[in-house]
Amino acid sequence: MNCDEARTLVARYADGEIDDLQGRSIAQHLRTCADCAVKHQGVLALRAQIRAEVPYFPATPALRERVRALVANARDVAPARPRPVRDRWRWLSGGALAGCTATILAWMLGTAVIDWRANEDVAVEAVTTHVRATLSNHLIEVASSDQHTVKPWLSARLDYSPPVRDLASEGFALGGGRLDTLDKQRVATLVYHYRLHTIDVFVRPEMVHAPTELRTVRGFNVAHATGSGMDWVAVSDVSADVLTAFVQRLARADAAP
Amino acid sequence: MSEHTRFEELVLPHLDAGYNLARWLTRNVNDAEDVVQDACIRALKYVGSLRDGDARAWFLTIVRHAFYDWCKRNRPAEIVKDDGTAIDMAADDSAVDPERAAQRSSESRLLADAVAELPVVFREVLILRELEELSYKEIARIADIPVGTVMSRLARARGLLQRSPLLHAIRGLPSGGQQ
Repeated sequence: MNCDEARTLVARYADGEIDDLQGRSIAQHLRTCADCAVKHQGVLALRAQIRAEVPYFPATPALRERVRALVANARDVAPARPRPVRDRWRWLSGGALAGCTATILAWMLGTAVIDWRANEDVAVEAVTTHVRATLSNHLIEVASSDQHTVKPWLSARLDYSPPVRDLASEGFALGGGRLDTLDKQRVATLVYHYRLHTIDVFVRPEMVHAPTELRTVRGFNVAHATGSGMDWVAVSDVSADVLTAFVQRLARADAAP
Repeated sequence: MSEHTRFEELVLPHLDAGYNLARWLTRNVNDAEDVVQDACIRALKYVGSLRDGDARAWFLTIVRHAFYDWCKRNRPAEIVKDDGTAIDMAADDSAVDPERAAQRSSESRLLADAVAELPVVFREVLILRELEELSYKEIARIADIPVGTVMSRLARARGLLQRSPLLHAIRGLPSGGQQ
């Protein structure tokens, strides 16, 4: 072994990081080479001096106290440690909640759309029925301005008894009544005359999801009101505000005779 | 075994080693305590991933990481790659000042001061090798460098100490080829 080869091995030899074969070679070289022996001695002497003079700092009492507190803290927290599971449940229930909310929202939206479409359909159907009855001159099956005649006639043909009011004093003269089919239901239709106009009022037991707003279908206004346990759908070519006021007046319980 | 029990059984026995490393890296009692406390918090958190048998090296790795994180926050200038050139120049400049050297030699903590003045990358491998007596392989893992780099840094650290102006007057220490 020459000095170039030995140079890279001296420190490793001094650090005990060398295999036996190389160890024997370098040991032999050091016995014969003063320069390399000095380097080797230099590492060993430095190490001895470091271990003698460079302090090894053990953990301070203050640090031990702080670490003890840390561990105690961890121990206190430990019982609540099945947190991942709890978290998972929280996420799960959160997800379930979100899912339920989404479902409910979707359902509400869906029913709202269905209601809207149904109302649209009811309004269209009401107008169609009104037009057909007008054209076919089949407006009135029981012709009477007497509500006490119209009401029994309707009640005898329906499974409910619609309130019938003559509002001639307010300009809305009862002309009579007939039966119609609206939204697959047999309904009572009250016919009123207002000046030169005819107003059909479809009366049926109150629906859960009833139309609320005024609609205009093919030039006819369709107004709705709820009251006296009934849904009131009025169709006419009278102005919208008159029709709305009228149907609301009909539906009001205090209007009952 | 719960986390804190594992920590107490596997990590706490190496608290001195962790503090010694932190103390030599920060060169300050309070900072070293902060670094080791931070390391303990991390160790408590990750002690589940510790395999038996290498707890000291594992904990020292965490302490070292905690130190570098602390350093970034508090002494960013110190992480700048320092290859010891400044110390070399100082050694050349003040090589001959027998009076001062003699005065220095009378002080008791000469070598400790020289170690403390080493750039941190050399200081850490020297402390791990000479005070913790770890193998090249363990040091390589802790410092996250190849074994070859451990050897070269160790040689550099020793050379710097042997040529340090603080040590010139020390008797019996071969002065690293200066003669």
